Amino acid sequence: MSDSVPMNAKLRQAMLLAPALIFLAVFFVMPLFDNSMRSFMSEDGGFTLSRYTSFLTDRFYLGVIVETVVLAAAVTVISVVIAYPVAYVLVRKAGRLSGVFIFLLIAPLLTSIIMRTFGWQVLFARRGLVNQWLVTDLGILDVPLRWLNTPGLAIAALVHVLVPFAVLSIASVLQGVDRRLEEGALMLGASKLRTFFEVTLPLTMDGIGTGAILVFMIANGSFVTLVLLGGGFQTLPLLIYQQFNTTRDFALASTMSTILLAIALVCLWLQLRLVRRQGA
Amino acid sequence: MKLSDVILWIFTIAFFIFMILPIAVVVVISFTSAGYAAFPIPGWSMQWFARIFEYQPFIDSLWVSLKLAVVATVASCLLGIPAALYLSRSRSGWATAITTFLLSPLSMPMIVIGFASLFFLSWLGFGISFLALTIVHTVICLPYVIRTVTAVYRSMSPAYEEAAMILGASRFTTFREVTLPLIRPGIAAGCLFSFLTSFDNLPVSYFFGSAQTNTLPVVMLAYMEHQFDPSIAALSTLQLLLAVVALLIADRLYGIEKMTIAT
Amino acid sequence: MNMKRRTFLGTGAVATGLLGLNGLPLHAQDRTLNVTAYGGVWEQAVRDCFVAPFEAKTGATATVSLGGPPQWLAQVEANPEKPPLDVLIMSPDLAVIAAEGGLMDDFTVDKIPNLANIPQEFTDACLGKGTYLNYGVGGITYNKQVVAEPPKSFAAFVDRVASGEFVASVPSISYAVTPVFFIWALNDALGGTPDNVDPFFEAMAKMKDNLVFWAGPNDFFNHLASGEADLGIYFDGRTWNHVDEGVDWIDFVNPEEGGAMTAVAIQKPKNASDLAWEYLNEALAPENQSKFAEILNYGVTNSEVVYSDKLASRVTPLSKANLPPYADIARLRNEWVDRWNREIGM
Repeated sequence: MSDSVPMNAKLRQAMLLAPALIFLAVFFVMPLFDNSMRSFMSEDGGFTLSRYTSFLTDRFYLGVIVETVVLAAAVTVISVVIAYPVAYVLVRKAGRLSGVFIFLLIAPLLTSIIMRTFGWQVLFARRGLVNQWLVTDLGILDVPLRWLNTPGLAIAALVHVLVPFAVLSIASVLQGVDRRLEEGALMLGASKLRTFFEVTLPLTMDGIGTGAILVFMIANGSFVTLVLLGGGFQTLPLLIYQQFNTTRDFALASTMSTILLAIALVCLWLQLRLVRRQGA
Repeated sequence: MKLSDVILWIFTIAFFIFMILPIAVVVVISFTSAGYAAFPIPGWSMQWFARIFEYQPFIDSLWVSLKLAVVATVASCLLGIPAALYLSRSRSGWATAITTFLLSPLSMPMIVIGFASLFFLSWLGFGISFLALTIVHTVICLPYVIRTVTAVYRSMSPAYEEAAMILGASRFTTFREVTLPLIRPGIAAGCLFSFLTSFDNLPVSYFFGSAQTNTLPVVMLAYMEHQFDPSIAALSTLQLLLAVVALLIADRLYGIEKMTIAT
Repeated sequence: MNMKRRTFLGTGAVATGLLGLNGLPLHAQDRTLNVTAYGGVWEQAVRDCFVAPFEAKTGATATVSLGGPPQWLAQVEANPEKPPLDVLIMSPDLAVIAAEGGLMDDFTVDKIPNLANIPQEFTDACLGKGTYLNYGVGGITYNKQVVAEPPKSFAAFVDRVASGEFVASVPSISYAVTPVFFIWALNDALGGTPDNVDPFFEAMAKMKDNLVFWAGPNDFFNHLASGEADLGIYFDGRTWNHVDEGVDWIDFVNPEEGGAMTAVAIQKPKNASDLAWEYLNEALAPENQSKFAEILNYGVTNSEVVYSDKLASRVTPLSKANLPPYADIARLRNEWVDRWNREIGM
């Protein structure tokens, strides 16, 4: 903590870190390292980088990489923007309703993904409830709209399952914010809006950062929603899934996982640096 | 009520309608009298709930899933909370690097983690066992606990702990009486994420499935592939019901105000 | 190949230490057999038709592992010395891969007397290391309330979907058997060969504005039930299962060109319990197979089996189904998938 902490105390503190670090080194890094060897091995057992060079020089695959990151970023921004006001209401206004809020937030995560997708299909199919309502009941439209397999609905479905992570991350930090700081600013004559932007928001930066990081990382690696709801996206996790499911090209899957992990780590590191600079 | 509050509430209500609509469809279908899942339903019945209890693999795997989610969450807390406490008070650049590393399992498609772990753990001799499944689930749950606890602890002023120490409290007393209550929302959020992630996981559990270690999502998928009847919707409704019961118990034990984050 | 990869890994101290921590892994035991089944009705049928007679005859017990072929094959690949499963249910293409990988035992009439009544071509299709248990056919399933006159052939299907008469739900490339029962079957019907799949991709380009894609069988049913699509490419047996569940608006057409036969293979991993032979013999026995067919609505492979009248009208006879050239498909599949990704999307 402070610089005067003696050496053995520092060592003792580092011991706090050791179990988690060793656990992931053995049970996360080693299996993935072992698996990634498939991507560096040529047909005759020698070492090769050819899978990486051919992947990274193919315009189609480069497009896939860009689409993966852009999609995850879009889902992250939308989720965090939606989540903040909800977290605010949850912590500051909900009172006894907060239990209900939490239930509603985790309900999507407790519903099997296949049934959830089924729910979306019932609502948004060509002759589904929403179109029926728009065309028959309200008469706003003449022809039913096409929702399924559109990018918009796929993004909405991703936000639907990831936004709870953002809400709860922001709420857990917002809960610890010392309200006297906000009251002080108000008493000194700052407007409510200004108090929010200059006091509350900076104090909850860690919550926003956590929400953004969790949503981004999960979105970056997820494929089931896209498999089931389509949307025309072509992302690395989808391609990886295809190698397991259809083509059984484990070497290509391993190549893509290594690339995906590298991208995710760079994005994560950048986000953490940003949060630390803003928050501290 | 002030205008700003009205807008906030309208936004929140709209948000929850969005969250709950697809789920509501599923809940309604679980009460259908038809032999297949389609909407609107022709009539009401409880037959699909009865079907859950008739089909033994549903019950067995629900039990495996619950046990697994609890064990993986406890293991994640034991490993993750100390690491988070250390990392949140460290300001050096390598702490950022280590945090990046500890969170990295989040971004790997789970199917890759599952596949790679199957081969690695089999090689180590763990084979296809509950222990192997627990290890891999802990890998994917750990980052949630680390991140949420770090976030909450970092936003706390160290002054509270310093005050306790100055007043003569031991290191352990300080942790138990000051630190732990302060980081409780972070632990609660982390445990909740961890439990749900494990409970809902398919791609990892899939590779470690056997007659003894199949989890509920694996059995549900296998079931649905060949029999898409509304019992799967009934199972989802049952899971929601279990969540309500769990929240009510938490309310009785702690009081709902204090458990904003389900502490 | 695995051991070679491991030389990179080295025998780190941590890993060596952990080798002692054996987690009591599951592996085949003497009087217990670990068999496999798809879930739902499939599992029920396996228990009633194969497990029960096996247990009655041998006095041994069998546990049933639910799941799918990619998972089971990976589990056997990861534990080739001590396979956790004794009998595998496989897709035809994975059966070939498992046989080529030297992971499966040879099937002979010595060990499985009932193999004598299974057409030799099915055992050959598994390279002698397995055979087919039952089969279905991929064809055109449609909603009777919307489609009065269904297309009778793949060619008519393509023309009428392209003209905008119907919206069709077809399998997406994320579905494991799409290359076989959709790409190969449609391409073959339209005059293509495995080495020339242009006819398939040209047809897809013509139909593209009126297509939706299904990622799993339930997805297809939902597309039809919710009105997202009017007809599509699906399986005969699954269509009949829906009819038996009370869905009265669904029907199936086997296209004139002949749909692709999609079979379920059955195999025994090397080093698995020898009790597996007894079980396999029960699974291929005519009386057990006919019971199995009644439950699942799929055709079975033992030539001694006589179907009931109801089933006889449903099962597509072997003569009207095309056996896909799995060896060619295995060679070319990844090229097709890559072309699909680039031209059609995922």
